[in-house]
Amino acid sequence: MSYIKIRNLKYSYKDDNDEPIPVLRGVSLDIEKGEYVAILGHNGSGKSTLAKLLNLVIEDYDFFEGSIEVDGVDITSEDMTEDDIYDLRKKIGMVFQNPDNQLVATIVEEDVAFGPENLGVPRAEIRQRVDYALKTVGMTEFAHHEPHRLSGGQKQRIAIAGVIAMKPDCMIFDESTAMLDPMGRKDVVDTIEKLNKEEGKTVITITHYMDEAVRADRVIVINDGKIILDGAPSKIFAQAEILRSAGLDLPQCADLLLRLREKGIKLEGEINTPEQCAQTIAQALNR
Amino acid sequence: MSKLTVENVSFVYSAGTPFEVRALDGVSVNIESNRITGIIGHTGSGKSTLVQMFNGLIRPTEGRILLDGEDIWADAKKISAIRYRVGLVMQYPEYQLFEETVEADIAYGPKNMGLDEAEIARRVIESAKFVGLDEESLKKSPFDLSGGQKRRAAIAGIMAMRPEVLVLDEPSAGLDPAGKKSIFEGIRNYAEATGAAVIIVSHSMDDMAKYCEDIIVMSHSKVAMTGKRNEIFSRGDELEAIGLGVPQMTYLVRLLAQKGIDLPQNIFTVEDAETAITELFGGAQ
Amino acid sequence: MKSIAFGQYYPSNSIMHRLDPRMKIIMGILYIVACFLCKNVITFGLLMLSALLLIIISKIPVKIVIRSIKAIIFIMIFTAVLNIFWTKGEDYELLVSWRFINIYSSGLYNAAFIVIRIVSMIIGTGIFLTYTTTPIQLTDGLEQLLSPLKVLKVPVHEFAMMMTIALRFIPTIIEETEKIMAAQKARGADFSNGSLVKRAKALIPVLIPLFISSFRRAGELATAMTCRCYRGGKGRTRLNVLRFSFKDFVALFLVIAFGTGIVLLNIYAPGYTM
Repeated sequence: MSYIKIRNLKYSYKDDNDEPIPVLRGVSLDIEKGEYVAILGHNGSGKSTLAKLLNLVIEDYDFFEGSIEVDGVDITSEDMTEDDIYDLRKKIGMVFQNPDNQLVATIVEEDVAFGPENLGVPRAEIRQRVDYALKTVGMTEFAHHEPHRLSGGQKQRIAIAGVIAMKPDCMIFDESTAMLDPMGRKDVVDTIEKLNKEEGKTVITITHYMDEAVRADRVIVINDGKIILDGAPSKIFAQAEILRSAGLDLPQCADLLLRLREKGIKLEGEINTPEQCAQTIAQALNR
Repeated sequence: MSKLTVENVSFVYSAGTPFEVRALDGVSVNIESNRITGIIGHTGSGKSTLVQMFNGLIRPTEGRILLDGEDIWADAKKISAIRYRVGLVMQYPEYQLFEETVEADIAYGPKNMGLDEAEIARRVIESAKFVGLDEESLKKSPFDLSGGQKRRAAIAGIMAMRPEVLVLDEPSAGLDPAGKKSIFEGIRNYAEATGAAVIIVSHSMDDMAKYCEDIIVMSHSKVAMTGKRNEIFSRGDELEAIGLGVPQMTYLVRLLAQKGIDLPQNIFTVEDAETAITELFGGAQ
Repeated sequence: MKSIAFGQYYPSNSIMHRLDPRMKIIMGILYIVACFLCKNVITFGLLMLSALLLIIISKIPVKIVIRSIKAIIFIMIFTAVLNIFWTKGEDYELLVSWRFINIYSSGLYNAAFIVIRIVSMIIGTGIFLTYTTTPIQLTDGLEQLLSPLKVLKVPVHEFAMMMTIALRFIPTIIEETEKIMAAQKARGADFSNGSLVKRAKALIPVLIPLFISSFRRAGELATAMTCRCYRGGKGRTRLNVLRFSFKDFVALFLVIAFGTGIVLLNIYAPGYTM
């Protein structure tokens, strides 16, 4: 059974004139435990709404259809009590875009402790969880710092530690790298990958950076509230036309190889990273 | 004579306190009109401090900034006039929008300049055109626009002052590919139409490769390298030592060279690589 | 401005800094009470000594303490003068008599006492509370001291959470204000010249974006907190729980002993009494 099972999900919000504006137009999706999924789409494609629905943090459910099951529980059912929603949020942790607007406490370790404190975890265990979470994101030495003195990437890793400390099965990153500089981005993406590969977390990362999506095991492309592509990165990036029509860029290497193929040059092999790309070109020349 | 000259400029934050930080240390650069110059460097390399000096938001603790050969701080009371001639678009400029309509917001700068109504109206329409905002969105509240449109409206607000030097700090940060593209198109439109000196601060080597002709590399409060795009990117090892790397296509060329496949040195964009590699295979097949 | 110090906290590692904030709040209150209990020369003398001792123990530079006293020097001079001229003590020596002005020795005593009292109170609250305790420790201390009021449905936890978030966001918002001001200056805004009305008007382009972004921040923070399972103080545990240690009780004992000493000396010590 899939960990997350979405069936024909439709969602609209109301604009100022009470007119419904459709955001999701029938999304069906299965995500297994332990998967590393990237969701791509341009701004306003509905990808963030999808993420927020998974955690039931959207206020207005007026125009809503379809179903979402998480770990066998139908979270869209009428019977969801407040405690059930609480349990859902324990299972799925979210990290957002602006690192400043997620940190609550004035000391790093107290911020990481915020989630477990809310869950009523005993004190000794909070201590363990905080230490472990800070170690996982490589921020142990900053435990007693004030968050506002850290860089964007460091703040974001603290936000991630705050979610790790709640021990969720699944973590969603909603454009968590969009506001970071290249170094901060690299640190955060490395952390995300580590969470999936070493900690076994199910990871859903929402982004419009292609080079981040390349690192996932599976890429889903959303456009206009619908899934238009779903598969392994190398397969997705072979679909240049569809990606461009969805307002997305190809990773440069994929773009280059496609252009070369269009010119009739036969190139076989993986194309995701510059290393793979160079290998593919070298092979073709030797033949 | 260069349009803008930075002459041996240093800047120290919180001088004389334990928090003292040397943000710029003996920086000298020249910026030319009719060109797009890129400034690249890590967070904290001093590039944001440098650009805030161009229009006199920060006054150098040492050294001079010359605009058309004249010290902009010669008369400190006239510094606001410098700000109209050197337009600065700060990071995430959409957070400075405040008027009821996009039109009024773009007009804020020209109004402060004391221009007459007709001229203001003309400039609003002209700069909206540069960044690709249509008439309809001019009448809207800036807060009803999409993220990318807001950014463009904010940039138009600076362009409407018709600065001779246009400085943009991370103009495409956080935007999706389509949004990014339209921002850079807007900047190019302005550069071509006015012949201004345009300065783009960015983290992205690939953006530099695509849009900038001259490049200034900042590292640890100093200018590490300066020169034409080709020169800078051919010094890949030095760039890597600073921790910046080269554009992805330049990197690919180096990887191919290691495999014994030699390509020309001036490859920075996908288009460059496409042409060169096609030739390698003996042209289109 | 990023390095702005909140309140007057002065970082150091004195014993005073390491005391439990709850105990410091209690001791601060007791000390103020003691300031009011003093009545005669000996007790006021002791009070002055205690204030000096507090400064020494807490390792706060005298310069900083003097700065905070300077802030209210006018009030002190005013009250002192009032006391000198208005105290009528027929039993005491008349020092000056000129037209309608009569200055008695009791007036001088009272003026000196008042000044010592005010200065000691400032030093006491400063040393026990603001100089040696961060605002966040104060908030934690108050929350836990007042927690019995939860029974009466006073939202103690909510207030403390509001304080914490405010303290967390003050530097962020200051930074943002500076950024927006710089951005508007780049468009020709002038915040420092012109009439008061003109300058107030020039702030509109700063305040509107600031409000909008603060609301956005608040919304995003609320979502993030919800996602991290925040639902008020109910069933919440804490990572860092305040715990009294031996030194806290010793400190409390000393303050109580001081207060008792003052009361006894008021009764048994000789000399002028207020």
